[in-house]
Amino acid sequence: MTHRLDRRTVIAGATTLGASVAMPAILCAQSKTLVAATFPGTWSEADRNIILPAFKAATSAAVTQSIVLGTDQVARLTAAKGNKPPFDVAFFDTPQVLDAAKEGLIVEYPAAKSPNFSSLLPKFQDKWGPKITMQVIGIGHNPKKIAPPPKSWDALWDPKYKGRVGLTALNSQLGIAFLAELNRIKGGSESDFEPAFKALRSLLLNVGAIATNLGAYATLWQQEQIDIAPYNFNFVQTLKAKDVPVELAIPDTGAVGWETSLHLVANATEPDLAVKYIDLHIDPAIQAQMLKPPYDVIPTNSKVKLEGAITASLAKTHDDLAKVRGFDWAKLNPQRGALIERFNREIKV
Amino acid sequence: MNGGESKLALPLAALFVAFFIGPLLVLIVLSLHAEAAMRTWTFANYVRFFTDSFNYSILWETLLLGAKATLLCLFFGYPIAWVCARVNARLQSVIVFLVIMPILTSVVVRTFAWIVILGRQGIINQIVLGLGLSNEPVRLLYTEVGVVLVLAQVQMPLMVLPILTVMSKIDPNLSDASRALGAGEWRTLWRVTMPLSLPGVIAGCVLTYTACITAFVTQTLIGGARLVYMPLHIYQQAVGANDWPFAGAISVVFMIAVLIIVGILGALGRKSETYARA
Repeated sequence: MTHRLDRRTVIAGATTLGASVAMPAILCAQSKTLVAATFPGTWSEADRNIILPAFKAATSAAVTQSIVLGTDQVARLTAAKGNKPPFDVAFFDTPQVLDAAKEGLIVEYPAAKSPNFSSLLPKFQDKWGPKITMQVIGIGHNPKKIAPPPKSWDALWDPKYKGRVGLTALNSQLGIAFLAELNRIKGGSESDFEPAFKALRSLLLNVGAIATNLGAYATLWQQEQIDIAPYNFNFVQTLKAKDVPVELAIPDTGAVGWETSLHLVANATEPDLAVKYIDLHIDPAIQAQMLKPPYDVIPTNSKVKLEGAITASLAKTHDDLAKVRGFDWAKLNPQRGALIERFNREIKV
Repeated sequence: MNGGESKLALPLAALFVAFFIGPLLVLIVLSLHAEAAMRTWTFANYVRFFTDSFNYSILWETLLLGAKATLLCLFFGYPIAWVCARVNARLQSVIVFLVIMPILTSVVVRTFAWIVILGRQGIINQIVLGLGLSNEPVRLLYTEVGVVLVLAQVQMPLMVLPILTVMSKIDPNLSDASRALGAGEWRTLWRVTMPLSLPGVIAGCVLTYTACITAFVTQTLIGGARLVYMPLHIYQQAVGANDWPFAGAISVVFMIAVLIIVGILGALGRKSETYARA
């Protein structure tokens, strides 16, 4: 048998191929799709399992998740400036909100179109977009190896834990917040980070591993490669749910943290759907659902009663939440690049 | 090749210009500007790179890492190819399948498997502790030894396949003649097979080397943040520090350094081919 390719078969083949590629897009056009950024880890899972089904039921539109860290989202939105943005909803920690607002990457949140906005605790009502949760950092530790739980950040410098201490690079919010808190405790200020780097240099003697990103950081805990390190309340809860031996201790210097918020991206393709999607995140029923393990997402809506792991270690009441100390990001942000650069130099072997 | 035939390559050439040459030019132009918006021309990014020892120590360590991983790959890969070229067809396909198998899984999956193997609770440490070779688990993860080991395994097919291709083309009569003239197995390998397989070795080295030095995933997951190589350095400047022009300049310097090394290997390759023919 011989095969001959004449012009007619080639054209017919090419048309079929082209049609089969275009078909899914044609079918999709009938139901709208929102592209929403989300953080890796707890949040991408909570969004996929709780928000996405609720959103589908309410709007019949689909959601494509874009799982990216806050700083990377700013980078991508900046790169796409003037064109169609890569996603409609941005997912930021406090410092990125300031950067994105300054650069015109996000627009003011249309609170009037968002029925649940007014029932947020006052602290969490921001004109750029609602704060949907808080992230709190403390001393993560492996309870099998470290008992009783550490009481102070000083435990990281304990010679007993030589080679057992972990850190994460400054591209994550966890990394930069830990450095800023360390700086405050050691007597530094937003304009003088010398005390933090001095403390870091002595800490490096104990450090066994510095992860480049939070995914690799979680693996370090999972493989019991590290026993004690700064960590985030929600990441600890996620790992605990997977039977990883890790607990969070709040040091005697107090709980520190920052807020996480959702934003409508400038020139978004689906602005109305985006607001509906954002509003779902502050819906009391949804927040109550997210408060349950393994997510343990700290609620921001005044109608949600605090319960579970949060009340055990972090906050018993909404007032306690308001007391969690924050950082002056307006002063810290401009130095971020220099701090990352300095940190990378200090830690390089 | 006549004009009609060369026209067949036009679609590929267009694709290449649009998606490879184009972005590359953008990268070079970007690296010659002071800001990402590309308003003022400057050479400052390159000056900054070469006046700071932090940058070129990273470049040097990256190039060295590639050399170490490539040599290890060659050390293990050459015997595999040699055995593979000499066994019967059935066994050969089994060995080739085993060599190719790692490529069939994602590099992320392969690397995570290595985290489990190299970790404190990993297989290697369990053996070390079980045999009483050490009281403490050995530190392998987040060390350069770990990165070299994993790169060598992950990129092994790129070394074995070119060597195998060249080796299976070597006329078996040549080794028979060598033996008939009184040379032993080792002498035949050293004086006949090895020189004839050199073009394959060099092709394998070029592929393995370039793959090793640009292996962002493996370098960062196994090496961690304290071992900085060029891909991570570029990423940190672009995304972490938001300094796209400087990231562009680092990329251009890195690319030129790699091209020089590939050029040297290529020249050696051409020399080895004339040597093999002589």
